[in-house]
Amino acid sequence: MAFVALLLQAFLPVRIPLARLFDLPLLVAIYFAVVRRNKVFAIGLGTGIGLLQDALSSGLIGMFGMAKGLVGYLAATASVKFEIEEIFGRLALTATLVLIHGLFLAVLHHVLLAPPPPFNPLELVSGTLVNAGLGLVLFLALDKLRKQ
Amino acid sequence: MGAQGMFNTHSPEFLEPDRPPERETPEKVQAFVVAHRAFFILLTVMVAQLLLLSAQVTRNHKVRLIQVWAVAILDPFERALHSVTDLTTGTWRTYRDLLATQEQNRELQRQLAAARAEIQQLSEQATEARRLRDLLEFKGRLSFQTVAAEVIASSPGEAAKAVFIDKGTDAGLAPDMAVITPSGIVGKTIAVFPHSSQVMLITDTSSGVAAALERSRVQGIVKGTGPNLCELQYVMNESAVNTGEVILTSGLDQIYPKGLPVGTVAQVGEGNIYKSIKLKPAVALDRLETVLVVLKPPSQALHALNSPSRP
Repeated sequence: MAFVALLLQAFLPVRIPLARLFDLPLLVAIYFAVVRRNKVFAIGLGTGIGLLQDALSSGLIGMFGMAKGLVGYLAATASVKFEIEEIFGRLALTATLVLIHGLFLAVLHHVLLAPPPPFNPLELVSGTLVNAGLGLVLFLALDKLRKQ
Repeated sequence: MGAQGMFNTHSPEFLEPDRPPERETPEKVQAFVVAHRAFFILLTVMVAQLLLLSAQVTRNHKVRLIQVWAVAILDPFERALHSVTDLTTGTWRTYRDLLATQEQNRELQRQLAAARAEIQQLSEQATEARRLRDLLEFKGRLSFQTVAAEVIASSPGEAAKAVFIDKGTDAGLAPDMAVITPSGIVGKTIAVFPHSSQVMLITDTSSGVAAALERSRVQGIVKGTGPNLCELQYVMNESAVNTGEVILTSGLDQIYPKGLPVGTVAQVGEGNIYKSIKLKPAVALDRLETVLVVLKPPSQALHALNSPSRP
């Protein structure tokens, strides 16, 4: 599933411009972290997906790995502490984690890169909203696949 | 047997039997880590990726970020260590320098003391050389033969005013020979031994010197009266004598050559018939070092100097 997500993440933006806001590997990492409710697994999954994403990008290796590893840990922690089977809960969790992911990446860019890229809050918010909605749809599809 | 027979009913184990025993600190740490295993794993993964990123990112002049961070972390410790090392070596060097300076100071003090002693010795030698030169000069001007002698001892006892010199019969000395210095007369030999002689000073009460006032030519006898004091006797009250007037030998005693200073008038007083004239000897009799002994044939009146000028 992670591989498919990466594949689509690389392919879709070429065809659909809006898809550049998607972060399918992130949504996959969040879903499986919530489902498994295992923090160690979530860290490993998020880090692995993130490193693969780094390897496929022209940026520094480790950026997405750190961000997605953190998000995986938080997702697993939240799934243990809160009841997030409902749609609203999932939506809120997904939006929060996508926002945290975006902010963490922005901080990393600001600290590590010289000169740092400009911070675009509008793009961050729009990406959060788009991925939260996409996540909702994706999670329902993955639930059905899992039940089958 | 009562309830407290075999058991301590006040011990914690008896009161709270279910309370687990206290753990040691390492076990507490281990338990904490195990309880938060996932968090520590996340932390480890994040740090590892951060290091990976820092190895890729470069700063000025292509210096990797990880190098920048490593230098930034180690630099304060290196500076501190450098400061401590500098302070330690500096302190040791200062201590060593102080020790060397102390030793040098001691050595310089020793050298200074030795130099001062040498200066003192040379000063003494120079003074003696001057004195001997003056004596030689004086001797050269004398019309009679003399022999130089060193004063080697003084006679014990307050009453006797006498000294010993290092010349005796082996140098041609005999009793009743005048002993003089360039400043004036000292006394006469009274006992002569093979290698030394005893000299009676003019301040001795037994001494008598035929003398005359330099200006008025009034004659008298100089008798010793005490330490560093003499008296000119047998000068009539009518004679004019002034304080500070010089008294010379008259030569009439056949011992002292004529014209040698005896002393100066220190005090003049009127007596019944004769004046009471106190005089201060011309020679510092308490600081005698080198003297001349007049070698003369007996019963011969001698004139002191060849030249008119007095010593």
